[in-house]
Amino acid sequence: MINIPKKPAPSLMVILGIPTSILFSYYCFFKVGFNLTDFKENLENRYIVTDPLFNPKWSWALENASEALIETIQIAILASIVGCFVALPLSFYASQTTNQNKFSFFLYKSFLNLVRTIPDLFWAMMFTVAVGLGPFAGVLALVMFSLAIMGKLLSETIDSIDPGPLEAAKSSGASHNQSVFTSALPQVLPNFTAYFLYIFELCIRASVILGLVGAGGVGRIIETQRIFLRFDRISPIIVLILVVVIFIEQFSVWLRRRIL
Amino acid sequence: MNIPKQPIQQRILKYTITVLIVAGSIWSASGLEITLEKILKAPEQIAILVGAMFPLDLSSEAIERILPKVAESLFIAWAGTVIGAIFSFPVAFLAANNVAVKYVSETTKQILNGIRAFPELILAFVFLPITGLGALTGTLAIGIHSIGTLGKLSSEVIEGIDEGPLEAIKSSGGSKINELIFGVVPQVMPTITSYWLYRFEINLRASAVLGVVGAGGVGAELINQLRFRDFPRAGTVLVATVVLVLTVDTISAAIRKRIIKGRSIKV
Repeated sequence: MINIPKKPAPSLMVILGIPTSILFSYYCFFKVGFNLTDFKENLENRYIVTDPLFNPKWSWALENASEALIETIQIAILASIVGCFVALPLSFYASQTTNQNKFSFFLYKSFLNLVRTIPDLFWAMMFTVAVGLGPFAGVLALVMFSLAIMGKLLSETIDSIDPGPLEAAKSSGASHNQSVFTSALPQVLPNFTAYFLYIFELCIRASVILGLVGAGGVGRIIETQRIFLRFDRISPIIVLILVVVIFIEQFSVWLRRRIL
Repeated sequence: MNIPKQPIQQRILKYTITVLIVAGSIWSASGLEITLEKILKAPEQIAILVGAMFPLDLSSEAIERILPKVAESLFIAWAGTVIGAIFSFPVAFLAANNVAVKYVSETTKQILNGIRAFPELILAFVFLPITGLGALTGTLAIGIHSIGTLGKLSSEVIEGIDEGPLEAIKSSGGSKINELIFGVVPQVMPTITSYWLYRFEINLRASAVLGVVGAGGVGAELINQLRFRDFPRAGTVLVATVVLVLTVDTISAAIRKRIIKGRSIKV
């Protein structure tokens, strides 16, 4: 008989964690009002939505939404460019490899974390109140959105760079800023480009819904038609958005392959 | 000294990217009518808004209104993640090309891509007339979107497994089902569970936003307070959301780390 090592007993976390999470799930479904019989009854009303949804009015959408769709793309382009380039210096301050000052490192890191916790549409709501309705508020909201993501991704990349070139630059007399600029920046530039394209895709997706709170773009038209339940006008817009999103994604995948 | 020059192709690429970025921003900024005047005025306007939010409205009436809404967002996010996890788990096996036949996995992947393409918010207002205003609509929207994202991530995990244990099971007489249960599932479970938790973090942010279209959660509260110009209360909503998201992120990240790294076993 072979001596098979015993399977270790499950830890306390597993013993307590699995029942707790199942109970919590029950509680959540109860709290959100999940009820199968009601749900079945409600499903009988689906024709209000599905009938118009599958009878798209293409001519109306092309006439009225194409301008707003271009606005959406412009918001995403501008916001991702500004957001990412603002995040570039910030992430060097938010990484311990390039910022030895513990206090300022902590400040920058917490700032990026704080920006990241606030959802994109919350930013949009606040900026519409602060600077007025319109695409400018949308751009500002997405700048914060892309700043947060780029800051997190890039600062973590900087954490893991090879410190050798940094030391080499310093030992040959470069100041801290010079050594960061000449030996840390080139190491993360390819990653920066890849992240930028990724964030641009996210921004295109996010900018579609900005209009729901009045921050410009194609969401504005969706919102007005949604209130009147004109799903026959909404569905072609959604399809148009999907086509644009898929096209941009393919383009960015192709570009990323070229660059990296 | 003879420093080698950058290859010409790379330089061309560099200049094209620079031109693209500059041209893109100019085209966008002019199309959106963003003027220097607007940009210069913005910081002041933002400072006024932030100033109006503090001190926060911490009266018991405000807290009693806001806390249930914040909790509702948490419930929506968790219930939505559970729906996503339950349905995406079997689907992920169908989508993985090393488990399912090529034809099935390709079709499933395309379906998952299709689901993923719709943002939660759009799903939410399509469901609204059917399931009514409230948390259930938000839960369904988040659940269905999560099936798409979790299905894709989980199927990629399954595709990346080590084939060794599967062969061992096969060579000792195990059936195809045995291979899945004893070979695949134990290998992928830690990563997939951590993806579920990660998705829960993302869903929490999404469910906070869903209130904007009336699908439950804290978003409705924020947009109402901002419309009524009750800025201190809006500030309270915002701070409560940030605290909730930060807490959940921290706890979930700790659990994920423990799941992936495993516990230290005394030998």
